[in-house]
Amino acid sequence: MVSTAFESLGRAQARGLAFPEMPLAIVPHPFGAIKREGIRELAIQCAENILHLVSPAAAPQGSAIAASQRAGLIELADDLDAVNLHFRQQRWTDGFPVVPPTRARVERMLRATRRDPAEVIGLVAPGYGAATVERIAINAVMAGCDPEYLPVLIAAVDAVTDPKFNLQGIQATTNPVAVWLIVNGPIAKQLGMNSGANCLGQGNWANATMGRALRLVLQNIGRAMPGEMDRATHGYPGKYSFCCAENEDDSPWEPLHVERGMRADQNAVTVVGAEGIVNMNTRSKIVDEVVRVFGQSMPRPAGNDYRTCGQPWVVLCPEYADILKGGGLSKAEAKRRLWEASKMPASMMAGIDFEQATHSRRAELGVVTRDTLLPACASPAELGILVAGGPGTHSAYVQSFGNTRSVTREIT
Amino acid sequence: MSARMSVYDPIAPYRDGDVQKYRTLADVKGKVVGFIDNTKPNFDYLIEDLAEVFKTRHGAAGTLIFKKRQASVPAGDAVMQELLDKCDLVITGSGD
Repeated sequence: MVSTAFESLGRAQARGLAFPEMPLAIVPHPFGAIKREGIRELAIQCAENILHLVSPAAAPQGSAIAASQRAGLIELADDLDAVNLHFRQQRWTDGFPVVPPTRARVERMLRATRRDPAEVIGLVAPGYGAATVERIAINAVMAGCDPEYLPVLIAAVDAVTDPKFNLQGIQATTNPVAVWLIVNGPIAKQLGMNSGANCLGQGNWANATMGRALRLVLQNIGRAMPGEMDRATHGYPGKYSFCCAENEDDSPWEPLHVERGMRADQNAVTVVGAEGIVNMNTRSKIVDEVVRVFGQSMPRPAGNDYRTCGQPWVVLCPEYADILKGGGLSKAEAKRRLWEASKMPASMMAGIDFEQATHSRRAELGVVTRDTLLPACASPAELGILVAGGPGTHSAYVQSFGNTRSVTREIT
Repeated sequence: MSARMSVYDPIAPYRDGDVQKYRTLADVKGKVVGFIDNTKPNFDYLIEDLAEVFKTRHGAAGTLIFKKRQASVPAGDAVMQELLDKCDLVITGSGD
């Protein structure tokens, strides 16, 4: 069953699951706003519709679907404007002009990896298109990537298709969720990535085009077209590109990939289902105060992390990472202090959200009451800390989609 | 004739394989109807009423209702297996 506003998602999703004739009963949108007494009449009508949909007379005949693993070539006028007009009409771009993915450019991109162009790195939800190395390269060309970026993107696609990332939920949700790419290891400098001033903003070719390329992969291979299978109510600008490196040189702690079991000289990419950035600006240099005000800046009674048990992140600027380290806090201890300080009284939630939290967090917390102090994530270790950015007193809180866990992959 | 350029199509086709079919039902008399509550507002009420309508008006023998932990996560394997083992028809929801 789907509401009218979600019928296109339901049908496209069914097709992506090789179940194109899945019977769909439709209810009016917004279904959740219908009063209780109106549901009964709807149920009577729905039951009739469902029985008709599953009756032998309505059943379609199934057949095989053939899907080529190799990308197809199309002939267009040899003109940048004409190519962009075609791609725009086909909805193959993110709204910005693209670099035409010619055979020569894609071949040049593919020379940056030893992997077979036909190798399938993963099936990208919600359309479950096959992300071959070649298709990733095509979208990377379109985004303006240098060939040396391709191994990062291959690892990122591998990461987002890990079930624990929950790409299906992230791609099809009404929430504003972007995939944040975090690069660690020597490759970040080799590629000229920005981990310092304005690292989450504009101006760096590698950051901008890699984040953009992943978005094109999610849209073109995963078929998450805005308004169709991408059901975001608003979206947000991070969905164009959201990519940075960790400022390992200026961090007083072990970098993210080392925290996750890799050597410092290995290269890694981490993907995060991120819902925007909240600036946390304090001039205090007192550790207890900093922890308190950061912690109090995180609770969001209408956010997903506290209702569903998410995995939010704190992006500490180097100056404030140094302040915490100078106060004797290891990275693990900083996480523990922030996790404690950011607990939120369940009573801050709206009634229906509180009820959902009691259900969704029961296995983790037991009985949740109005007096329960809800942590944003299951344990201090689950709270992400990244040291990034340049000079200044600003740190950032990055809330998560909730039902997602970040995934780190080695870049090979 | 003006010059032409070959460019790659960046889209991936839908997956290979046989199209999944579903078993048809002439009616639900004596059958078991399963529901997966996606936790979205009102869906629990709709399930409650549908279950009652299927039983009282259409002769369903019984109903099974499972509630997901959250809307954006899949139902667990054990739930899916139980639905497969016990139900003739399974209904779930997507969207708001």
